[in-house]
Amino acid sequence: MATESAVAPGAALAAPAGNQPVSTPAPTTAPAATPAEAPKLTPAQLKAKAKEEKAARRAQAKEVKAASGVQAPTAPDAKGGKGKGKQDGSQAGQQSQKSALAHRPSVSGRRPSFHVVEKDTRSVIPECFSHVPMAKRIPTAHAHKDVHPAVLAVGQQMAAFTLKDSIARLQATLLAFKKVLEAYETPKGNSLSRHFVPHVLNPQIEYLTECRPMCFSMGNAIRILKAKVNSFDIDTPEEEAKEGLLEMIDLFIKERINLAEFVIARNAAKTIEDGAAILTYGRHRLVEKTLLRAKRDGKVFSVSVIDDPYDNGGQEMAKSLSRAGIPVFYSPNLGGLRAEVQRATNVLLGVEAIFANGSLYGAAGTADVAVAAKTASKRVIALCETINFDRERVSVDALTYNEIDPEQNSAEHFRLLFDTTRDYYLNGVITEFESGTGNSPAQAILALLRKQEDPALN
Amino acid sequence: MAPSRTGHAPTMEKLVKSLKGQLLEASIDSYIHLLKRRQVTGDDCAEATAHILRQVVAKSKWSDVDQLLNAVQSVGSRLVQAAPQEPVIGNIVRRVMGLIRDEASEERNADETMSESISELPALAPPTTAVHPARPQPTPFRPPPLSSVTSFHVSRSKSMFNLLSVADTMHSPQTGASTPMSQAQPTSMNSLRSEVLDGIEEIMDEISQADDQIASFAEIQINPTDNVLAYLPSRTVERFLIKAAAKRKYTVFLVSLDPPNTHSGEVPFAALRKKLNSYGVKTIILASNGLMAYMSRVNKVVIGAKVVYQNGGLLVESGASVAAQAAHALSRQVIALGGVYKFCPEDPSDNIAGEKGASSTYVSYSDGLKVDALEVENTVVDYVPPELVDVYLTNLGPQTRHHLATIMADHYKPEDVGFSLHPGELY
Repeated sequence: MATESAVAPGAALAAPAGNQPVSTPAPTTAPAATPAEAPKLTPAQLKAKAKEEKAARRAQAKEVKAASGVQAPTAPDAKGGKGKGKQDGSQAGQQSQKSALAHRPSVSGRRPSFHVVEKDTRSVIPECFSHVPMAKRIPTAHAHKDVHPAVLAVGQQMAAFTLKDSIARLQATLLAFKKVLEAYETPKGNSLSRHFVPHVLNPQIEYLTECRPMCFSMGNAIRILKAKVNSFDIDTPEEEAKEGLLEMIDLFIKERINLAEFVIARNAAKTIEDGAAILTYGRHRLVEKTLLRAKRDGKVFSVSVIDDPYDNGGQEMAKSLSRAGIPVFYSPNLGGLRAEVQRATNVLLGVEAIFANGSLYGAAGTADVAVAAKTASKRVIALCETINFDRERVSVDALTYNEIDPEQNSAEHFRLLFDTTRDYYLNGVITEFESGTGNSPAQAILALLRKQEDPALN
Repeated sequence: MAPSRTGHAPTMEKLVKSLKGQLLEASIDSYIHLLKRRQVTGDDCAEATAHILRQVVAKSKWSDVDQLLNAVQSVGSRLVQAAPQEPVIGNIVRRVMGLIRDEASEERNADETMSESISELPALAPPTTAVHPARPQPTPFRPPPLSSVTSFHVSRSKSMFNLLSVADTMHSPQTGASTPMSQAQPTSMNSLRSEVLDGIEEIMDEISQADDQIASFAEIQINPTDNVLAYLPSRTVERFLIKAAAKRKYTVFLVSLDPPNTHSGEVPFAALRKKLNSYGVKTIILASNGLMAYMSRVNKVVIGAKVVYQNGGLLVESGASVAAQAAHALSRQVIALGGVYKFCPEDPSDNIAGEKGASSTYVSYSDGLKVDALEVENTVVDYVPPELVDVYLTNLGPQTRHHLATIMADHYKPEDVGFSLHPGELY
């Protein structure tokens, strides 16, 4: 049950909440209906269009019926309202006359135009990458009515990449889920352990997944959270269960995020020797913390930061390290890779996740750095919290699991956000679990993780 | 990169025109200025250098071969030092010097062994017989035996690929023969001058034809449904891709190092894409720093070399080594394109990526950071080690690394390899 989880976007969509999904049909019918927007229509497309229109009419009728009762709590909410204002702005005039109408009917009226936009962004993706998901901004009005405003906000921030790295997203999600829990009241005749996950939590997860494919740490955390809910007896009092869950989330954030970060930075800083020349790629929180920590510990070393010009996070890190008094060499792109690798004594890579086969899932370009460093026989160490380890997915090339950069996706160009680094380009991984020698291969840590019960469960 | 390719850089014709209109010293100076300002770069350097050296030969005062060699060498050294990042300049200087040596020795032989050269003439026509009887006879008359051998190599290697040079080598003994025996020294120098000028003309033809000749091998190298990755395609690579597009349905991944400038509204590789698309070849622009992510979809990487070193390493656009390395990591073919005139009889320096570009385009100091606090390393050239290159595709056809030494020996005289005398200062 726990493994079913909502990690895989497909699985999450396939298991929608049991109650009537007023707006969920929209995204599901959309892909089929999109060709209908093209200027030339084949009979099949006409049929699909007719079908979609019918579905829209039906949904509209349903919504109007339900509008007064069920919709009331979400619509007037402060955050929901704010989000909607933003969405109206982004829709740029074309629907402005409609937005003046009563808000509910306008939703269905707006739907086609929203999908026209969506079709355009996906249709320019080259065919050989068309399977790769891409984050998309979903106007808050199109979200499922059960999505909690806090989750709505998190979803928007994820889609806009304000919340970007895996741990930031995980933490925001968990905090939003706490809000969901706090606002939750078990309906009469139901129990939290049976009702909360399918009817309340799952719609939140679906929405987040739609905004941006879920990162592995979120999948892991949700699995643990669901297992915890299931562990409650059917007649555990609601207050007790809620307390237990809130506590668990707090503990989880403390141990798996904050403490892990501290331990990893401390351990990794120990591996830096005086006189070392560290090479790193882009900006990663753990690498930055490690280097600052090593500096505080009195280590004397220099750092080469190779940046990704599509992200420029490396520049921020270079500046922050430089302010701390560390000599920094900054390369704006991978053009300097060869020279920087030659200068370096070891390489620290911060990564997004680690697959079950030990491959790294890192910002695009991480693999290029690892390959160059390994070829030059430099020590390559990856830093990663154990919550980012995926125990089920295996990835050999970068196209199995990846995301398209929505910012760089146009008819003119195309960019993937991540790449996959095979384990043989690595010397070791430093997590919060081991002593910090950096000599443990990812596989060893995975084995440990497999054996170990998730501490949050106990 | 290579902003100078378009921008304010003068076109080749304009450049040549302006150089022609000036006095020799003035045109050398203005060319050196252009080099220093990076307004002539890459392939244009080769052509422009040949033009300048042609003028040196035509306009400068010299009364014997050594003076001519000195003149070419001194101008050559100045050019090389003006643009150490363009080793192709040195290649052309060496080629011209080698050419002068060849012509001079032929001239001398023509003068001294008048009768023999006439008797040799019919023998030269069928090459198989020419090799044997020609050698033992003239050796005593040719002072440096080494250069005579190499000169023979040169003429032979040229004759295989360049019909013009066949005509020329056949032609030169004839001129010697037709010249009256009583010719004065100046006449011989004049004929040497015209021979050398013809030879430089040929080098210029070779440079201008190299891209087309390389492109003629495109359909062999590129197969239907290939996914070809081209990193910052040079003129040579563009022509190659377009030629392949005429024959093959394949897909091109175009890569540039930096994000396209959205403010200028400039569409990257627009002209190239238009041409490729018109043949029905799909183009995908990868706006990406790293390339490992895409490499599982790619089966060939095409790289335009600025220079091929004698060890087989390539001087390339900054970042091209990332493409080559990613291809190598996944066992994809790496095809290096470059005319033989780009073959450089030197080893790469250790500090090959030493040249740095402007840092202010990348780093903003507006947040109060001290300008010298960050060491910004914006490299503009890159080096691809020989073990990453699978095929060297030249105007003479595809080559392997092991054959490079032969090609070098065919095109350069050992005594000219270190002509700039300070190879260490080159980088």
